[in-house]
Amino acid sequence: MLEKENKLAEQIKKTFHSAEVKVMREKRISVQLRSNLIPPFLSYAKELLDFKHLAHMSCVDWLEDNEFELVFILWNYDEQIQIISKTRIPRDKAEFVSLKKFWIQAETYEREIHEMYGVDFEGNNRLGEFILEDWEGMPPMRRDFDTRKYSRETYFQRPGREDAKDVRETITKHSGEEVPDFAKNYTIRQ
Amino acid sequence: MTPNINEKDKLRIREIVQNFARKHSLWVLAYGTGCGAIEIPPTMTSRYDAERFGITGSATPRQADVLLITGYLSTKTLKRVIRTYEQMQAPKYVIGFGSCTINGGMYWDSYNTINALDRYIPVDVYINGCMPRPEAVIEGFIKLQNLIAEGKANGAEKYMENLEWYRENQKKIIHNWQMPDFNW
Amino acid sequence: MDINWIKIAGFVLTPVIAFVVGVTYGGLVRNITARIQNRFGPPVWQNFLDITKLYSKSTAIHHGWMQRLGPAFALTASVTSLFFIPVLRDSEMFSLLSFDGDLIFLLYMMVFGSLGMALGVGQTGNPNSAIGVSRGLSQMVGYEIPFVLALVAIMVQYQTTNLNEILAAQSQFTDWIIFQNPFAFAAGMLALLGMMGYAPFDVVTAPAELASGPPSEFGGKYLAVMMTSRSIFAFAKLVLFTDLFLGGADNFITLVIKTFAIYMFPVLTGIVNPRFRTEHSIQFFWKWPTVLGILAIIIVVW
Repeated sequence: MLEKENKLAEQIKKTFHSAEVKVMREKRISVQLRSNLIPPFLSYAKELLDFKHLAHMSCVDWLEDNEFELVFILWNYDEQIQIISKTRIPRDKAEFVSLKKFWIQAETYEREIHEMYGVDFEGNNRLGEFILEDWEGMPPMRRDFDTRKYSRETYFQRPGREDAKDVRETITKHSGEEVPDFAKNYTIRQ
Repeated sequence: MTPNINEKDKLRIREIVQNFARKHSLWVLAYGTGCGAIEIPPTMTSRYDAERFGITGSATPRQADVLLITGYLSTKTLKRVIRTYEQMQAPKYVIGFGSCTINGGMYWDSYNTINALDRYIPVDVYINGCMPRPEAVIEGFIKLQNLIAEGKANGAEKYMENLEWYRENQKKIIHNWQMPDFNW
Repeated sequence: MDINWIKIAGFVLTPVIAFVVGVTYGGLVRNITARIQNRFGPPVWQNFLDITKLYSKSTAIHHGWMQRLGPAFALTASVTSLFFIPVLRDSEMFSLLSFDGDLIFLLYMMVFGSLGMALGVGQTGNPNSAIGVSRGLSQMVGYEIPFVLALVAIMVQYQTTNLNEILAAQSQFTDWIIFQNPFAFAAGMLALLGMMGYAPFDVVTAPAELASGPPSEFGGKYLAVMMTSRSIFAFAKLVLFTDLFLGGADNFITLVIKTFAIYMFPVLTGIVNPRFRTEHSIQFFWKWPTVLGILAIIIVVW
């Protein structure tokens, strides 16, 4: 059943001893590595194991562990298997190496991660203003950026109507009906 | 140098004829600012025909009457929308589409979208919904037609009179202000 | 000197009639397009409301005095071309100016309007308008060739360049040039497709192509003048074709019927066809319509 995936996992464990390889389900393998092993591992997967396609690259913010986690998803066209390779980098000095010489599209993903999380990619010289225009302040996708407070301070909020605070009551009043019994518990706003 | 748009027409008949022509021939700028713009093609085409009311599309801001703000506005888009609005010729109307223009809608706590459109450009009619259906859109246009017939749709004059207030609000969120002067 | 009041009344009334009929035709065309697309369209007087609304704009934004002259050139060209086309035959009021060689003068006058517009457009500095103007003028090079060949065939056949004499030679139903020289009629009608500006040759002012090309910086009163001149010019072209090929008209009802019949050809072709690129439209005009025009001349001379 999962023969192809198990064989692949054995092959990876033989070359990279410190990797944690797990077969998640059919067609999907996850590999957790130290951060300095990612460029050799990706090059090995691309050339030797035929995982030629970089499907996605993204970043996860682990605020409690004080780390960022970079996730790379690779795909093999012939065997139709996905490898999800993850690595952790420290949050205070977030740096990594740019992979744009392996896949050209990695440059765009890195620009987005730099703007939204603040991770610096060495070798990528197009980092800078990408999607947000004239943004000063913390990179906005970090979890300690309070977006609700920022929105309330910068943009004028329209105050709500005093006479239509509860949705069910307003709608039933509008059409001349009564709120049914089973819904009465939920009509009282806390 | 401001033209006197507020000049009271001595002949009331001239006003009635002009308002009749203006309300039965509304040219909408073909500019979809947000995701609500997906409801405009069904309104303009064969099933919910909006051309019966004289509403057609127009290609450039210089030829358009109505600017439809369909949905959310990020700060990047707001700068371009202000520039487009100032290029249109008076009398001009703005219709706010969807709940995002009224109170922020789905993106009320986002760091990048504005919450109340009324503070940045003057709005004549709001149509709520997410997105409003073509029947609701046509009803909004009919409400605009009634406002024009009564002579109450004067967003352009309000903008010119309170220009400092609008500019102050706009400059608070747009930090890098490099725009041409108001082109009367 | 005697002032011929009847003729002066004709000169004053003809642009007014052209304006009314041209604008009504515009509204009718929108209605016909709508019915073919299975919906109801705007009312027939919709274009009048559009022009009134454009005139009643309170601000007029312009980029210099040359831009304001552009629509004036277009309107002048339309009205002047109208004055040299006899609207009704054998009528003292409505057969306007004429002299020997006025058909050649008309060819020049019809191009003058676009050139004046191009001058006005050049001052706005909008790159869309510049591209639109260059496309429009290249397309004009395309359709002028079959049109001129058809006219030359007619002029050689009847040995005259005076439009009134061509009109007088078509007194009978069987004397109409549509029967006497059908190749000239075919070449002329194919050239009419390009002149009217409907699809498939509407790349010049297409809104989705180029932000409407040359009129993109015009708004308000200037656009109203341009719409007026476009309607008058359409009427002038239709009456010219009626006089050349269908023997003119005696009264207004026949005139309306004949011009509408000729107008339906570009309109109905335009509703169901997509758009050609400029080089394709020039290739189209220099293939079969030119061959038909040359055949028309050969048949006459033989």
